[in-house]
Amino acid sequence: MKTLLSAIDRTSAGLGRIAEVVVLILIVAMLYEVAARYIFGAPTLWAFDIAYMSTGVLFVLGAAQALRQDAHVRIDVLSSRFSHRVRGWIDGIAFLFVLAPIFCKLAWIGGQRTWRAYTLGEVEHVSPWAPLMWPFYALLTIGLAALTLQLAAQGIRALAGRGRPADLTLES
Amino acid sequence: QDVTWRVPTSVPEGSPYYVNFLVRFAENVDLLTDSRVEIQPFGAGVLVPALQVYDGVRDGIVEAGHSTPSYLVNQNPENAIYAGFPGGMGPEAYTTWIYEGGGKEALEKLRASEGMKSLVVGIGSSEIMAHSNKPIRTAEDLKGLKYRTSGPWAAVMKDYFGAVPTVVPPGEIYTLLERKGVDAIEWGPPSGNLPEGFHEAAPYIVVPGVHQPTFLWEVVMKQETWDALPEDLKPKLEAAAELTTLQALTHMYDQDIKAMEQFRTTNVEIINLDPAFIEEMSDAGRDWIAKTAEAEAAAGRGTMKEVLADYTDYRTRWSAESGYLIRNED
Amino acid sequence: MLTASLMFPALFALILLGLPIAFSLTIVSVGAGLVAFGTAGFNQLYGSFYSAVTNFILSAIPMFILMGALLERSGVAERLFRVMSLWLGKLPGGIALATIAMGGVFAAAAGVVGAVEVMIGMMAIPAMQRLGYDNKLIAGTICAGGSLGTMIPPSVIAVMYASLAQVSVGKLLAGMILPGLLMVGLFLAYIVIQGMVRPVPVPRGPVEDDVPLREKLWLTVTTLLPVFALILAVLGSILGGIASPTEAAAVGAAGALLLCIGYGRFSIRVLKESLSITVRISAMILLIVAAGTMFMGVFAANGGATLIRGGIEGAGLGTTGMIVFFLLIVFLLGFVLDWTANVLICVPLFTPFIRSAGIDPIWFATMVIIVIQTSYLTPPMASAIFYLKSIAPKDMTYGQMCRGVVPFVGLQILTLAIVAAFPVLVTWLPGHIVGF
Ligand code: NA
Ligand code: NA
Repeated sequence: MKTLLSAIDRTSAGLGRIAEVVVLILIVAMLYEVAARYIFGAPTLWAFDIAYMSTGVLFVLGAAQALRQDAHVRIDVLSSRFSHRVRGWIDGIAFLFVLAPIFCKLAWIGGQRTWRAYTLGEVEHVSPWAPLMWPFYALLTIGLAALTLQLAAQGIRALAGRGRPADLTLES
Repeated sequence: QDVTWRVPTSVPEGSPYYVNFLVRFAENVDLLTDSRVEIQPFGAGVLVPALQVYDGVRDGIVEAGHSTPSYLVNQNPENAIYAGFPGGMGPEAYTTWIYEGGGKEALEKLRASEGMKSLVVGIGSSEIMAHSNKPIRTAEDLKGLKYRTSGPWAAVMKDYFGAVPTVVPPGEIYTLLERKGVDAIEWGPPSGNLPEGFHEAAPYIVVPGVHQPTFLWEVVMKQETWDALPEDLKPKLEAAAELTTLQALTHMYDQDIKAMEQFRTTNVEIINLDPAFIEEMSDAGRDWIAKTAEAEAAAGRGTMKEVLADYTDYRTRWSAESGYLIRNED
Repeated sequence: MLTASLMFPALFALILLGLPIAFSLTIVSVGAGLVAFGTAGFNQLYGSFYSAVTNFILSAIPMFILMGALLERSGVAERLFRVMSLWLGKLPGGIALATIAMGGVFAAAAGVVGAVEVMIGMMAIPAMQRLGYDNKLIAGTICAGGSLGTMIPPSVIAVMYASLAQVSVGKLLAGMILPGLLMVGLFLAYIVIQGMVRPVPVPRGPVEDDVPLREKLWLTVTTLLPVFALILAVLGSILGGIASPTEAAAVGAAGALLLCIGYGRFSIRVLKESLSITVRISAMILLIVAAGTMFMGVFAANGGATLIRGGIEGAGLGTTGMIVFFLLIVFLLGFVLDWTANVLICVPLFTPFIRSAGIDPIWFATMVIIVIQTSYLTPPMASAIFYLKSIAPKDMTYGQMCRGVVPFVGLQILTLAIVAAFPVLVTWLPGHIVGF
């Protein structure tokens, strides 16, 4: 069980790394568009698509890692008065039995979309660049799947009494 | 009530198309079916993503959806014929082709091949060719012009006139035009552009809308949804759709005239293009679509070429004989 | 409609149980989505998720966060705040004033809220804590300063509002300028007065009088000039028509990187840490936005708009009563909905009533936008506080944050009251600067 949980952690961390690279891609694409339009008078047809796709991808790929670091904001005014055990049960049940199945289903639909886009050769609806859409759908699906696994992992940990990691604030 | 449908569209709730097309359709349906069918309109992005209304219907999220074939051109260029294309027929001729010349049937056939039923709900007037920071009068003026546009017109502007089509997301068009980050933009017909305030951002308005002489919106549903309707309701929905389209078009003409009058009260200069230049751009558009249809046929998809032949034939006959019509132009 | 009315209590319950906001929104959306759409419910939710994921205007968020993280990690922010305290240290609440001013300046560069707050928060919190500022004042200052992006052009909320209500974007943006400046002015005045009346929590800064003037000037020139250059690059690229507001965020991030390099503070470690923070906070913010989009779609599908419309028509209110009622709805929805969702639901609902009552649409829009910003700040459910929480140090509690924003919420309501009493504040400027 322990190895399984840490494998999930490592996957989330790995996807988080990829998301970091995507941040750089986003910025470079935007700067390139500014330069291409203003200096060279020849704007790209792709910068807009790359920008919205990288934003979507970086956040979905980063969601699992953010969960591992307990970065998804909660309000603990009331819940901080519950005992450690009760909080563990709340998180455990919600993460493992409610949220993991929900995101699993969303990831499944994401997978169907990816497959449909792949088989139909779906391209962007309005973009003059008209890129194929399945790689984008696939990345979203991977992010949702990783979030599902991380939710399950955090749920198991919470039920086992090793709930919210207290030592992970602003990591350095 | 026999039937209640949630119907999302691809424009936000405040948009004139939302009220003029979809809400009008809901009212006409209510009227003609004696309230047996209820259409609940929803603005863009509320129930399904704005550009994925067709997918939302196909996935069974909503019973029916309202959108334009424009958003399907990238998937299947035949849609460009129905969406309206550069150099195509204007609203008068096009509406006649749709209802009398076989256009509606051709569109229904295309949708049927996708397992869907189509009702034409909304045909539009011509768009404004550009709100511009630079005057556009000749082909020379298009060279190097940073022009926010999309679809076939982007290709025509780039390949035939050396303009620089620029992708700008809707939320940033106004700012970028006002700050002269782009030279020109196209968006919608006069009544659609007036509330967007583009005339307050750039000093020139260029007409007529060669790039988008007309456009079409449709309500689509799965074939089985349509088949499951009581027989007596089907002709009533068809009638409501046609009534909506014709009412909406005259309403849009009226709103457009008022919008143009409004533009004239400002300091914006309205440039009416020279007929020869209009013809030059129209020819380029027709050349583009002919080549596209040819390429489709070569790839084994011959329908586009057939429909385009019908369309072109109708346009030629209309042009040849419509000289008898009084158009009240100055 | 019953489902729609139950969605909000259910959401509050889950949030109070201590579940993350984004997940609480998701659970309620799934429950109500299955009621509205049956088996297709998950497909609909995926669609809403997809809408949020492909929303271009959110691209500015990661870029502004990276900009703040780079300036903070590299020590540029620390240097900047040291110089500010050299000069402003004598002034009561000097650094708080500088932080609000910085919020205002970056609000003029950013279209989306949230991004600016996180950015200036990362830079200002450590500096203010070191100077011994009270946590409550720090929290209030960051939240209030960071929320100015709503009111100060370019504002994505205003652009979206204008397009939904079919009013002129230019006129709305121009109309909001004076109320926006009034709000900044009130914030600044409050900090100064607070500092004079109750000087304890507002330090006068460290005693650095012994720094020789020459060194003081040299530090100032070498620190402030590059930072001003960065601000100029971001603002100037928008005003000069070089970049769109979203692209300007990229200019800012790249500029921050250049500053780090210029000061010799750049290293791969700094870049990696900054990117890691950027991804984490962006994921947190955007997951809330995505879940909020799901919530809004399901709320609408369950007849939420009909529910509200019924309330409006049933109440039989006069013009003033109607305006108050509308603003109240915006305020309450703002507790749980992201501003995009709030505007998407409310504006189409209100616009016909506003039109037929002959109310000036720009004036009304400005008030709605002020209320959205107020709701964004008002505890217990306040996005501004959620975002602050993601970057706040451990010793800054949720309670302190809530109490810290209260005075600023009061100032926002004061701004609203002034705008309500003097519509000319909104209506005068647009006629003078928009158009040719
Ligand atoms: Na702003
Ligand atoms: Na709030």
